[in-house]
Parts: sequence; C-alpha cells; structure tokens
Amino acid sequence: MSLLIQNLSVEIAGKTLLKNINLEINAGQIHVLMGPNGSGKSTLAQAIMGNQNFKIQNSNDKSNLKFKIQIDDKNITTLATDGRAREGLFLAFQNPVAIPGVSVANLLRIASKVNQLKSSHNPALSVWDFNERLVATAEKLGIRQELLKRSLNEDFSGGEKKKLEMLQALILQPKYAIFDEIDTGLDVDALRIVADGINLLKKSGTGILIITHYQRILKYALPDRISVLVNGRIVATGRNELVEEIEKEGYKRWQTK
Amino acid sequence: MADKIKYQYGFHKQEKYIFKSKKGLSPEIVKEISRQKQEPDWMTKFRLDALKIYHSKPLPYWGQNLGEIDFDDLYYYLKPIEKKAASWDELPKEIKETYEKIGIPEAERKFLGGVSVQYESEVVYKSIKKTLTKKGIIFLDMDSGLREYPAIVKKYFGKIVPSTDNKFAALNSAVWSGGSFIYVPKGIKVELPLQAYFRINAQKLGQFERTLIIADEGSFVHYVEGCTAPIYSTDSLHAAVVEIIVEKGARVRYTTIQNWSKNVYNLVTKRMEVKEDGIGEWIDGNLGSKLTMKYPSLYLTGKRAKGEILSIAYAGRGQCQDAGGKAIHLAANTSSKITSKSISVDGGKTVFRGLVRVYPEAVGSRTKTVCNTLIIGKESKSETYPTMDIRLSDVIAEHEATVSKISEEQLFYLNSRGIERNEAEALIVNGFIEPIVKELPLEYAVELNRLIQMEMQGSIG
Repeated sequence: MSLLIQNLSVEIAGKTLLKNINLEINAGQIHVLMGPNGSGKSTLAQAIMGNQNFKIQNSNDKSNLKFKIQIDDKNITTLATDGRAREGLFLAFQNPVAIPGVSVANLLRIASKVNQLKSSHNPALSVWDFNERLVATAEKLGIRQELLKRSLNEDFSGGEKKKLEMLQALILQPKYAIFDEIDTGLDVDALRIVADGINLLKKSGTGILIITHYQRILKYALPDRISVLVNGRIVATGRNELVEEIEKEGYKRWQTK
Repeated sequence: MADKIKYQYGFHKQEKYIFKSKKGLSPEIVKEISRQKQEPDWMTKFRLDALKIYHSKPLPYWGQNLGEIDFDDLYYYLKPIEKKAASWDELPKEIKETYEKIGIPEAERKFLGGVSVQYESEVVYKSIKKTLTKKGIIFLDMDSGLREYPAIVKKYFGKIVPSTDNKFAALNSAVWSGGSFIYVPKGIKVELPLQAYFRINAQKLGQFERTLIIADEGSFVHYVEGCTAPIYSTDSLHAAVVEIIVEKGARVRYTTIQNWSKNVYNLVTKRMEVKEDGIGEWIDGNLGSKLTMKYPSLYLTGKRAKGEILSIAYAGRGQCQDAGGKAIHLAANTSSKITSKSISVDGGKTVFRGLVRVYPEAVGSRTKTVCNTLIIGKESKSETYPTMDIRLSDVIAEHEATVSKISEEQLFYLNSRGIERNEAEALIVNGFIEPIVKELPLEYAVELNRLIQMEMQGSIG
C-alpha cells in the first residue's frame, strides 16, 4: 500500500523544475522531503496534487519512461485534482489562499459529502456527528471556535492557517497527505500540536509526506524515511542520519555535484 | 431536457379560470377588470387615468432594450377561482398540488406569521394567524384591502409611486391585480416575517401585483416575498409596484428573492418613504428573468431617517440583471447605504445602476455605496453606473467598487479537497454574496444557495 510517483518531470515556461522524480510513500509511514530554497519542493507537492499550471514532461525524456502516479495500485495519472483528492490524496498548502464568505466548516461539510458520495475511503457521518467531530478536532488543535465560522484564511495569522490545514486533514482522513512546510511560522507549542496531528493520521494508516527546511518538526513526528531534493532532483534517500548530516553540513555536498 | 433538469420549479399545471380578459389593452378591458373586482368609482377612474399616462409615455430611453415585448399579445387579467379560500382545505386540488411542489405548507409549519399566496393574478389562499388580527395588524391581498379599508387605501395608494412616475408604473396602475396590503398600527412590532409566495402560471400572462405597506409610528414589520415561476414558450411580463410608508420611528424591512423563469421581463418600481427616525431596508435578490430592471428606492424625508439597500444580482446565459438602488436625502442627518453584489456567469450581463441624491436641506447626512462584481467566464459582462448628486458640502459620501474574478488558485485549493470545478465556483459565488445572504430568513438563504448551485452546474465557467 503506497502512493507511488514515477518519472515525474515538470517544466514551467520552458524551465525544468523537476527532473525524473521517483518517490514512494508507504501507508502508515512518515516520509520527509528536505531541500534548500528553490529546489522544487512546493512544485513537487502541487504537481502530485495535479496543478494544471505545470506542464508534465513525458516524451522528450531520454529514458522515455512515462509519468505515473498511483494510489494503492490504482493508477490516478489521468485524474484531475478533484478526482485525485477523492481517491484519498490531500495537500496541506504552504500558503493557503483566502476564500471570502466560505468557512472551514462549510468547506469541510461539502468536501466530506463529495468524498463520501464519490469514493469509498471516507465513512459517512451524520450532520450532528460531523459537527461534533469538527468541534472536538478543532479543540484538540487549539483552534478558536470562532475561526470555524469565519471566511477561511481571511485575516488569519500564519499559525492559524497552518492549524486549519491540519484540521482539514484530520477531518477528511486522506489515505495520503502531503504537508508543504506546515512547520514554518509556528511557535514550539503550535509545532507540537501540528506534529501530534501528523502522528494521529499516521496511526490511522495515512501515508505522510512532510516537506520541510528544518529538522525541528522531526523531533515530534519521527520520520521513517528521508529524501533530499536539490535542483529538481532527488539526490539522496535514507534514514534519520541524513537529517543530522544536513543539520551539520547543509546541502553543499549535493549542490557541488 | 437540460432546462428541465436545471429549472426545478419549471412544472406546469393545467389552467382553470373563471374569467380571462382578452389579449391586449384598452379602456374597455381596464373598465372590465375594475367591474369584475367591484371596485369603487375612484379606483376605476384611477385606472383609466393611468392607462392614458401609460399610452402617452415612451419606453425608457436608457437601460436595456424593451422593444421585443409585444404588449398587445398579453393577457392583462386572469381570475382563476371565484371566491378566495380562507383555509388550505378549501383550495382546489390542482392549486394545492402546485403549492405543495413549492413547499408552502412545510414553510408555514415552520415559522410563518401568515401566508398570502398569489396564484395567477388573484390571491387565492391566505391564512392569517389570530395574533395578527388581535394586534390590529392588517395583512390582506390588495383587492381585499381596497374593499375592506377603502379610506386607508385611498389615502396612500399611488402617493409614493404616482402613475406618472414611469411607463411601467402607469401600466401597473391601470391593470394592477393582487399583491399585498399591510398596515401595522402604532408601536406594534411584528416578530415573525410576513411572507407571500408569488407565482404566475399561464402563457402570455402579464403579472401586475400592487403592494402597499404602511408602518405606523414606532412599529416594525419584515415582509418577505419569494417568487418561483414555471417556464413558458413565449415572453411574459411582470411589472409590479411596491409602495411603503415608514412613519416616525418605525422600521420596515422588505425582502425579495426573485426567480422568474428565463423568458420574463421583470420591470418593477419599488419605493419607500422613511420619516423622522424611521428605518427602511430593502433586500433584493434577482436570479431569474430574461431582463430585470429594478432599483428599490429610499426617500428619506424625516430627520435622522435611515435606509439600507442590499442587492444581489445573478445573470447567467441570455440574462440581463439591471439592478441597484436609489437613496434620496431630503432631511437633515439622514443616512443611507447601498450594497450591491452582482455575478455574471456564462455570458450573462449585470448592470449596477445607483443614484444617491442629497438635497441642500439634508445637512449632516451620510451615504455610502459599495458595489462588488464577480465575473465568471470570458463572455460575461458587467457595467456600473453609480450617480452621486450631492447638492451641499456638509455631507459624507463614500463610494467603493470592485470587480473580481475567481482565481485559479482558489479553484485549485477547493479542487484539492475533492470538490469539482462547478461546485467550487458555486461555493465561491455563495461566499461572495454571503454578507447579504446572512440577512435573509434561514429558509430563503438555503434556497438561494441551492438555486445558485443549480445554476452554476449548468454553466460553463
């Protein structure tokens, strides 16, 4: 059981941002992707989610290997973003956009409904149970009740935005969740809360990809696997010792190559 | 077929009429309408005078093209059943079925203060809660109002909107039928909204209801009018007049959600006079019709009178919503606010037309117009005509206008939660109008959101 990405190359305006990425995220495990600024981390997250703005390269790849994305053996390469989401894929955005007049409660109610209707991975909840779960989950994350009813991300602080992304992940219970710099701009307490959320998802079997610059979140959410992305390529994959190495030496080793 | 799916309320019932006037308009037809209704002579004369004014006035030279309306090809009066039913059980089965489809009994069970329903040109069903009568509140259809309270009607009818005001006000004055008549006595606050459902059901039927609301000193009433109409093969005309008097210290809120079928010309004159310390509020939602031209107006004639207009307009393919509002300041320290949210989708066109006029005697007044437009789809259009005519210096006048589009970023975000493009757009549109929708009674808010969702599903963004 895994989220499998094969031969993902992305270009935008003629510039190659990602080159032949291969990545496998196992269910119930935490996979961490680290890399310096501008290495293509967010592009990778958005490309997996199916952002239409990115051109996925296929033919001019010398190895002629085709791009493929698969959830638990189901090929979802041709599905658009919403279809991928309904198959159980989730992206927590680095900078989530504001949606005036739409509250997170409203959004999640609709999202839960479509996910239930069009896929089997999410169990159906009554309105009552849904609300109860939403309120309880928000409380666990230290989210003020008032934020559940306000326009999503409009005039929210950086920390509030991140917590609301986590809230959505916990409510939607995806099979695989990508957290794009969920740890930036969080104080220690918020960081711990968000990490607890990740651990909770992991426990319930969600496969997780954490994208980050820093190792500090990894103290609370222990990774099973680390990959390093530099200049649009995955240059190393390994275990915790990689984190320590990066912490000491930075990314120089791969950048000079 | 696609239309049927899209337009939930587009069902059609067999017609049953006691009296149906001939097509077209003449003094004879107007006299016959008045005779059928057994009206006093002054009303017959009022109608005939209005007819002359109607014939003498040209179509408006501004605004949208009305040249396609064939005024000779319309029925100006229909009378479906002879006696008005006092209770639900007395209604003919056919009419009951129609109302069950639009869900009136259910709505009534919930929280209606009273129901007055217009079927065709006649009010056929009405249930007034005992409490209304006990407090001296009059809530009748306009025809009964004229019969039972001729003195009050004569005093106010046609005073706020005279027949000379515009061609369609004149037309309405000549052939009006149905509508609501409300009088709220001094100091009485009507806690539950008074509601009326309107419906037109016959081909080529012109609908000309006339509503008169008088809120006496210190009183309060919220009137809610919702429209759904079935689909016809030919164009239909709706030209209503609404007159409201808000006496000293009183407050009136008038809410409309209008969803005429997409061949209806909806040309409505709505005006409210607000006296000293009074508050007048228009909430106006326009979704349906082929063309709507409607600008609810506030005449602030008393000191410290306040007025607010909230307008929502939604235009899809083949539709034009030319809406907005007017605020006329005629006394000191008056204040007004006009908020408009318009959405054009799939080639639809919205026009905001606002007029704020502040006369020299209105010292210390303030006014604000906020006009937000959302455009979806390449062919969709939007125009804005805010006019500010301020005739003194001691006034605070503000105007704000924004035009926006749905961003790809917002769509991507909502898509990433499993929501399809159409539904994501509908969600954003509903979010856009949310500040106004939250002012609506709950069931109307739900219905409006659902209607927009239905409309958006059929559109190409």
